[in-house]
Amino acid sequence: MQKLLQNPLAVTGLCLIGIILLLALLAPWIAPYDPDAVQVKQILIGPSAEHWMGTDGLGRDVWSRMLFGGRVSLLVGLVAVGISTAIGVILGALAGYYRGWVDTVIMRLVDIMLSIPSFFLILAVIAFLSPSITNVMIVIGLTSWMSVTRLVRAEFLSLTQREFVAASTALGAQDWRVIFKHCLPNSLTPVLVSVVLGIASAVLLESGLSFLGLGVQPPQASWGNILTDGKEYIQFAWWLSLYPGLAILITVLGYNLLGEGLRDVFDPRSNTTR
Amino acid sequence: MTHRPLPGMHFNCTTAHALAGQRLILGLLCSGLIACSPESEGPQTAALNQTYPAQPGGTMISAMPSDPSGMIGMVAGESASLAIGANLFNSLLKYDQHLDLAGELAAAWQVADDKKTITFKLKPGLQWADGKPLTSADVLFTWQLITDEKTHSPYASDYQLVTKAEAPDAQTFIVHYSQPFAPALESWASLQVLPKHKLAGQDIHTTNFAQKPLSSHYYQLKEWRHGEYIKLEKNPKSVLGPANIDQLIERIIPDPAAQFLELMADNIDSMTLDPITYARIIPSRPALQARLNQYKELGNSYTYLGFNLKRKPFDDVRVRKAINYAIDKQEIIDGVYLGLGIAIASPYKPGTRWSNPHLTPYPFDPAKAKQLLAEAGYTDTNGDGIIERNGKPLSFEVLTNLGNKQREKTAVIIQRRLKEVGIDTRIRTLEWASLLTNFIKPGDFDAVVMGWGLGLDPDQYSIWHSSQQGPGQFNFIGYNNPAVDQLLEQGRLEFDPQKRMQIYHDFAKRLYDDSPLVYLSAGYGLTAIHKRVQGIMHPVPPAGVSYDSQKWYIPEPLRRTQIQAE
Repeated sequence: MQKLLQNPLAVTGLCLIGIILLLALLAPWIAPYDPDAVQVKQILIGPSAEHWMGTDGLGRDVWSRMLFGGRVSLLVGLVAVGISTAIGVILGALAGYYRGWVDTVIMRLVDIMLSIPSFFLILAVIAFLSPSITNVMIVIGLTSWMSVTRLVRAEFLSLTQREFVAASTALGAQDWRVIFKHCLPNSLTPVLVSVVLGIASAVLLESGLSFLGLGVQPPQASWGNILTDGKEYIQFAWWLSLYPGLAILITVLGYNLLGEGLRDVFDPRSNTTR
Repeated sequence: MTHRPLPGMHFNCTTAHALAGQRLILGLLCSGLIACSPESEGPQTAALNQTYPAQPGGTMISAMPSDPSGMIGMVAGESASLAIGANLFNSLLKYDQHLDLAGELAAAWQVADDKKTITFKLKPGLQWADGKPLTSADVLFTWQLITDEKTHSPYASDYQLVTKAEAPDAQTFIVHYSQPFAPALESWASLQVLPKHKLAGQDIHTTNFAQKPLSSHYYQLKEWRHGEYIKLEKNPKSVLGPANIDQLIERIIPDPAAQFLELMADNIDSMTLDPITYARIIPSRPALQARLNQYKELGNSYTYLGFNLKRKPFDDVRVRKAINYAIDKQEIIDGVYLGLGIAIASPYKPGTRWSNPHLTPYPFDPAKAKQLLAEAGYTDTNGDGIIERNGKPLSFEVLTNLGNKQREKTAVIIQRRLKEVGIDTRIRTLEWASLLTNFIKPGDFDAVVMGWGLGLDPDQYSIWHSSQQGPGQFNFIGYNNPAVDQLLEQGRLEFDPQKRMQIYHDFAKRLYDDSPLVYLSAGYGLTAIHKRVQGIMHPVPPAGVSYDSQKWYIPEPLRRTQIQAE
């Protein structure tokens, strides 16, 4: 933890994420307007003291929508990564611990999933199901577990060769005990890094889907669909594209910096070079 | 450019935006740069306001939102095909600038006294672009083709009412009906006549004629690059005499924002505008505005919120009326169409003879709405803000087509207003084809925000008659009112315009009382055309800005420097 706080990348990332998370969590209290309140008399007003980030094509306050949209984006990021990590860890552990045909089957599955461009797979699946936040979270989760699986499997392959694992097996510990008590805790470090980086890409994916109209459905705001509305007016209402764009940029940057920082801190090789 | 109203009714989907997700950031940057670069005033700005004498030659480039599926519009049934087809094929009749019928291929036509037989006399010496004569045999062949069950033309029903069609000589075409059919002449004004000598014996769905048509009208197809552009060149043998402009290029650009960038860069001469571009963006760019003529005309179409009348709670007229009262149409017109729309009370273009002047649109009256809902048994018993009857909350799903921003915004405003009277709605946007195939055709929906594009004849049998509820037919909301059925049948038999008007006024009144759908707005068609295109009729005639577009011309000094990137 100390090392983490000494790492400038990680600290910057933490601060950025902290600010965004705080704003999203406090949205109902700090949003000056109802995010869905339509005001047809105040369409597309530029940023001003009344509307910090201007208003959109229906006269809704962009700042309030950004705050509530942030909740959606971050929620999707966390839940989707939660799902993908759970799947990835379990499959990786099974493959790495049992090896043999279990390993072969799981790793070929990983190869198959990796061979499909995930964005298009997600697009197709969402178009087939109906677009909604829940579906977006589940589908992103179900299509992005492969890297975690590979990481966990690699860790398990080396851990199962260690003496303490052999010892606990010799003492008659059951498989689940060896997996969960001995191997898993020791393989979580790379997973943590990939979770943080995964959130960043999930946020980006959700924004992309909402931008295409296949994510969060109206009237609910998300950064992606504010951006889509902005595209229509980009000729003169720059604020509709700039602010959600910046928010996505800051969030993704924050998670990436934190992820890089974590990797530096935990990776023994990068420590020795320092 | 077409100057022909599209035949009959058609589903109106308007723009569907292209999906270019991965290129988002790049796209943002590029358009940002273009927006920032100063717009230099071309040396032509002064010249553009000068009027030149008409002269042939030049190229006009327009933008089209989607690639047509083929050139035979009467079979394809979609607006892109019909629009291109209108440059290639002629009809027996056409509408003149005042929307009265005039002859096109026909020199004269006569309706028999019993109104059951119409005789058309074709002009002499008509020919196709390949020099072969165009005769009544071609008309007869086209009629047979459209009415053939195997063709599956969406416009077949009007022509199937013809019990017998004959072509006794090359110049005469006679049709017989079993009973008088008032929209008959209109139907002959929208039938695009096809060449028999090219199509006879071919399978209409696989023939390469759809890709390489033979035309008789002002233009003929020169080149078609799918998804890129369609090049039409002047047909020297045009049956109506040659057009002025040598070449028309229809560039296929699905994204309106991309179309507009091309308009700003002067790569296209004309495009259809959305209200924001028309009312806000162009006025904010004086240099651009100086080289454009902008046209605003009330279109023959409207947007509506339609209910599935076969489902609860929409079988209750009080609920339908309550929803009608709860929606503020003016708010939608101001907010979504920036004031470029009109609230309507009958399903016709306001100001025309068919629109009933005694009806006024349902006012915005939430108190009345709540009262009607209470009468229908809906009250908020559990205090969650949503009204319910017998413990079932009043909640439904509103569908609309993906990419149509105006309809999405409309749905959001409706959702908001309905929530205020305690009705819970969910909005779902679906891709156009999927919306039609999976939800509209099987009748699997609660409510929809969609639009109707209408023909010039007041007959709306196919939309409202109770017999037209089959899968794929237009009365998909399941409207069934015997009195309306009778009026629609009567209207088809009546030729006297005054009596017909009364019938359709009564019809509109019944619809108004039943409120089977909420008329939201009749929208304006907005067009921008570069000032280098001259000869456009001024003021705009009732038939629309593109009427007589064959007389448009581009004076030599104003033409684009031709650099062909081949």
